[in-house]
Amino acid sequence: MRRYVRIFREFFRACFVEELEYRSEFLGNLVSSFFGIGIAILTVNIFFYQTDQLGGWAYADVLVLLGVFNTLRGMIDFALRPNMPRLLEHVRRGTLDYILTKPVDSMFYVSFRHLVFWRLIDVLLGLGVIGYGLMVKRYIPSLFDVLIFLITIAASFVLIYSLWMMLMTTSFWVIRIDDLSFIFDSFFETARFPVGMYRGWMRVVLTYVLPAAVITNMPALSLLGKWNMATALIAVSLALVFLWLARRFWRFALRFYTSASS
Amino acid sequence: MIHVKHLHKSFRVHARQAGWLEAVRSLWRREYRVVEAVKDISFTIEKGEIVGFLGPNGAGKTTTMKMLAGLLHPTSGEITVGGFVPFEQKAEFKKMMSLVMGQKSQLIWDIPPMETFLVNKAIYEIDDRMFRETLDELVELLELAPLLDKPTRSLSLGQRMRCELAAALLHRPQVLFLDEPTIGLDVHTQEKVRRFIVDYNREHETTILLTSHYMGDVTALCDRVMIINYGKLIYDGELTVLTEKLAPYKRLEVRFAKVPDVRWEDYGEVVEIEDGNVALRVAREKVAEVSAHFLQHFHVHDINIQDPPMEEVITRAFQEGLHDS
Repeated sequence: MRRYVRIFREFFRACFVEELEYRSEFLGNLVSSFFGIGIAILTVNIFFYQTDQLGGWAYADVLVLLGVFNTLRGMIDFALRPNMPRLLEHVRRGTLDYILTKPVDSMFYVSFRHLVFWRLIDVLLGLGVIGYGLMVKRYIPSLFDVLIFLITIAASFVLIYSLWMMLMTTSFWVIRIDDLSFIFDSFFETARFPVGMYRGWMRVVLTYVLPAAVITNMPALSLLGKWNMATALIAVSLALVFLWLARRFWRFALRFYTSASS
Repeated sequence: MIHVKHLHKSFRVHARQAGWLEAVRSLWRREYRVVEAVKDISFTIEKGEIVGFLGPNGAGKTTTMKMLAGLLHPTSGEITVGGFVPFEQKAEFKKMMSLVMGQKSQLIWDIPPMETFLVNKAIYEIDDRMFRETLDELVELLELAPLLDKPTRSLSLGQRMRCELAAALLHRPQVLFLDEPTIGLDVHTQEKVRRFIVDYNREHETTILLTSHYMGDVTALCDRVMIINYGKLIYDGELTVLTEKLAPYKRLEVRFAKVPDVRWEDYGEVVEIEDGNVALRVAREKVAEVSAHFLQHFHVHDINIQDPPMEEVITRAFQEGLHDS
């Protein structure tokens, strides 16, 4: 475990150097991050000129939800988005061979080798919006709220990682699909709003089949003090089950790769 | 160091006829064909040997090498490398070997090679002192000093290849697999890389298996070659023996002041006769006798005895096979 922390630190350092190669990009991204969150807040405000409830959530609650969405997206863009599409390249160009000859867990390597650290700005902005939302609501979360929030958001991250990883692992078979990530993106976008906003079958699908809504709603509710232990536990166990599945699937795919590739 | 016994590898490939109708049909009905890429190969490589692995494209070289590196699962047969079974992919095994593929890069594109070296240092758990020492040595042997802090993308192909070699050797592997390490390099850089491989092998007794399309690589580096064709090992032995066996003649070129009127067929096979030049293919054991005869009896300006070019020898091996060996 300590060894993997050290390797992760080394990945982080190498990526930091890589980012500094493109300093102008950094500024551009800073501006676009602020712009993005600004537009999102504006949209929420426009909604609330017409109504004072969105899927059963009040203005301040939706702000917290938006903050959670932004935080989670920042985390995804920091660690997952730079890596997941690359797997396809590794398989296609054969550089996966180098990864497989390294004495390091290959799933770990392909998952975290590339980090785009300036995306952590989105995490900070998201946390800022959460803080703002709580201020509007005049609610100070208890230590326990925060703890449940941290657990559920971590579970959400693991769940997203596992789903995406499984999706990308299929690239061992379907290497001709150019970018499987867009499937993931459209799925994640639905997590921006309260799940109560969706009606009928959409809501059923987004709650139980593709739990995009749950991924952001649960951490937001936790911070607002509306959590319950059962759902938190379900979230954590769901995340662990999917992580386990993703790992099994990766192993299975590798066995296929090493017995069939040329 | 490397033991291979009755190694087989077959792939199931999707056989598809041309034409879009066939392509649509293959959506639900696929026909598979089994291709035997490697058929019953056995060999042993001792510690410190440099062995050249030759064969035309698609002969099974890379497949065999990938099985040795643990990237492919053999269909049947046994492999051990340094006492390990490669496809078990144990970390200890991975730490004692290294793979360099001339066509694929492991360096990080946008940043200097030194950063890749540091990442590898963490992955291979190389301690600081050993890392320093190994790096210093590699920097000197490969003349890397001016390259270390330039972004990889700005390096030339030859410079990049030298850095690839360094990245692969930082953990001091005992076994090195080189898959076409000089591909695309200019003659001067090829020479540099070859010299490095020889020096490094001598210094560290690293066992090296090398595939290449350039005959120059093989003649400069390997005493022993293995030739594989259609998945079968058709020759395993010394390079010089191979030459004698396949080419039991030498090329004798003589420039006469005046071409004598003799029956050239008595001396050897005529390659060409032009102006004052005569080129003959003479049996190995007769070369000395024939040239002495020419020098004694005729007025000779120049005489030149050559081994047939290696390319020619190997091409003949591929075409005719070596079934009698």
